[in-house]
Amino acid sequence: MAASLTAPAAATGPVVWLRKHFFSTWYDAVFSILFSMLIAWMVNKLLGWAVFDAIWRVENRELCTHDAGACWAVIEDRGRLILFGLYPYEEQWRSTLACLAVIVTMVLSCLPKFWSIRRLPILWIAGFGIFVLLMRGGFAGMPLVRSEQWGGLSLTIFIFAAVFVIGMPLAVIFALARRSTLPVIAKVSGLFIDLVRSLPLLTLLFAAAVVVPLLVPEAIQGTKLGRVVVAFALFFAVYQAEIIRAGLQSTSQGQEEAAVALGMPYWSLVVDILLPQAFRNTLPSTINQAVITFKETSVVTIIGFFEVMASGNAAIGTGEWGNQYIEVYVFLAFIYFIFVFGLSRYGAWLEKRMRLGHV
Amino acid sequence: MSNSAISIKSLNKHYGSFHALKGIDLEVREGETLVICGPSGSGKSTLVRCMNGLESYTDGNLEVLGITIGDDTQQLDRVRKRVGMVFQGFNLFPHLTILENCVLPQLRALGRDRATSTIEAVDQLKRMQVYVHSEKFPDQLSGGQQQRVALARALCLQPEIMLFDEPTSALDPEMISEVLDVMQDLAREKMTIVCVTHEMGFARAVADRVILMAEGRIIEEGDPEQMFTAPEHEITKEFMKVVNQ
Repeated sequence: MAASLTAPAAATGPVVWLRKHFFSTWYDAVFSILFSMLIAWMVNKLLGWAVFDAIWRVENRELCTHDAGACWAVIEDRGRLILFGLYPYEEQWRSTLACLAVIVTMVLSCLPKFWSIRRLPILWIAGFGIFVLLMRGGFAGMPLVRSEQWGGLSLTIFIFAAVFVIGMPLAVIFALARRSTLPVIAKVSGLFIDLVRSLPLLTLLFAAAVVVPLLVPEAIQGTKLGRVVVAFALFFAVYQAEIIRAGLQSTSQGQEEAAVALGMPYWSLVVDILLPQAFRNTLPSTINQAVITFKETSVVTIIGFFEVMASGNAAIGTGEWGNQYIEVYVFLAFIYFIFVFGLSRYGAWLEKRMRLGHV
Repeated sequence: MSNSAISIKSLNKHYGSFHALKGIDLEVREGETLVICGPSGSGKSTLVRCMNGLESYTDGNLEVLGITIGDDTQQLDRVRKRVGMVFQGFNLFPHLTILENCVLPQLRALGRDRATSTIEAVDQLKRMQVYVHSEKFPDQLSGGQQQRVALARALCLQPEIMLFDEPTSALDPEMISEVLDVMQDLAREKMTIVCVTHEMGFARAVADRVILMAEGRIIEEGDPEQMFTAPEHEITKEFMKVVNQ
C-alpha cells in the first residue's frame, strides 16, 4: 500500500515561478504588468542615453547637443585631468604606478596571510614608501613634484589608505586607554575622544592646514598634505576607537580571566585574545566606518587638494565641457562605486570566513 | 607532614559593605585533594579566586607555593604560571583552534618555542581524550569536551596546583562523569587540587578533605566519609540532605 504513495511531481520551471510570485491574484497581475512596463520604459531610456545615442569620440563632439545621448567624449578628453588632477602631464605614469602600489598594498593587507605584527608594517612601509617616492620624484631623472600638485584618484586613494593605516592603531590605543583601570588615562582618553568627535571634520582639517603653521615652528610643520592626513586619521581614530571599545566590551569577562589565570602577559591578552575577538564582533561597523571615510575624502577639496571629486569639478568648470556635468558625475560615481562595493564584498567575505571559525 | 601548598590566615574580603569572606583560616598540603562545598553565596568561589589573585582580598595573609599573593604583580605572575585554573564556563578562546588554545599560553606565559609547545599540547589533549578535535574550534565541541580541553590547556603549563571553580555545573548531566573521571585521575597522581563542587560522588571517591562554607565562613571540615555520614553542624546536615537527593 505504501508503495503506491508517491509524492506528486513538484511543479517547477520559470512559468510556475512567475505565476506564483507575480500573478497569483488579479491585482498582483495588474501591478506586475504596470511595474514591468515602467521598468522597461526606464531601462530603454537609460540604455538609449548611455549607450545607443551616446557620443563616444572627441572628434564627434559637435554632435553633443541637448537632444543627443550621453556625451562620453568628455571622459576621453578630460579623463586624465579627472584621474590625475594637477599632476604634470608628462609624469602621470608615475601617478599611475604610485596609485597601483597603494592599491596592491591595500589588497594584500586584506589577506589574512599578511595579518602579523611583522608583515603588516613592512608591507605598509614598502607600499607607502613607493607611493611617496614615485609621486614626489626628485631623483633618477624624475622631476620633483610637490604634494600640493598631487591630485586625482591617486590622491583620493592615498588619503584613504593613509588615514586608515595611521588611524587604526591610534583607534586601538584610544580604545584601550579609555578602558584603562588607571582613572587618569581613562578620563583623558575619554575626554579627547569626545572632544574630537564633537568637532566637524572640516574644522579639524582646516585647523591642520591653516592654523597649525601659525602655531608650530616651521621645522616640525611637515607638508600640508601630511598634516591634513594626520588630522583626518585622528578624526577616523576617535570614531573607530568607540567601535573597538564596543567590541572589547562584548567579549566575555571569562576570556580575560582565563588568560590572566594562565599567566599570559597583558600585551598578549590584548593582541592575541581581546582584539581579534573585538574586531570580529564589530566587523560590520568597521567596514561601515571605512566606507564613510572613503567617501569623506572628498572634503579635502575645500582646503585646496584636487582629489578625484575636485578634479571632476575642474573638468567641467572650464565652460568648454560645462554641459557635460552629468556624464562626469556618473563617471565619478562609477569610480567610487568600484571601491566601496569592493570594500563591502570584502567585508561580507570576511564575515563568512569568520563564521567558519577563523579569525 | 608534607609541606603546605596554600596557606591562608584570617583572610577577609569585602565587596563594598558586603563581607564576603570572614576570617578564613585554611592550609592545603602538597598533593592533597580538597573539596569545598556549600550553598550558593557562601564565598567558596571567591575564596578559590583569591588563591591565584583573580580576586583581591581586604586583609589577612595568603601564601601560595611560598609566595605571598598581594599587590605585587610580578609575584602574582610567578604564582599564576604555577597554578592552573578551570572555570565553570570553560572560557576557551573561541577564535583559536583547540590545539592553538593549548599552544598559545605556553608560548606567551612560559616563552616556550612552538615545537615544544605543540608536542606538549598534543600529549595533554591525548591524555584528556580530545586530541581528535585538535583542528576544530571550541563551539564545535560539547560542553564536556570543552571542559576537558580547558583542563588540558591548564596542564600544558605543568602547574603544581590545580584550582577548579564548579567545573561541572554548566554541563549536561550525561557529560559530568567524563570530566570527573579525568579529574579523579589527576587526584590519584597526587596533584594538589582545590575544587569547588557539589559532586559528592567525586568528593567521596578522591577527596582527602571536605570543607563546607556558609556565609563567608568555614563551618565544618573533615574527611569525606565523616562529612557525609556524621556531619556535626546543622547547616552541613541540611546541605548534605539537599545534595544527596
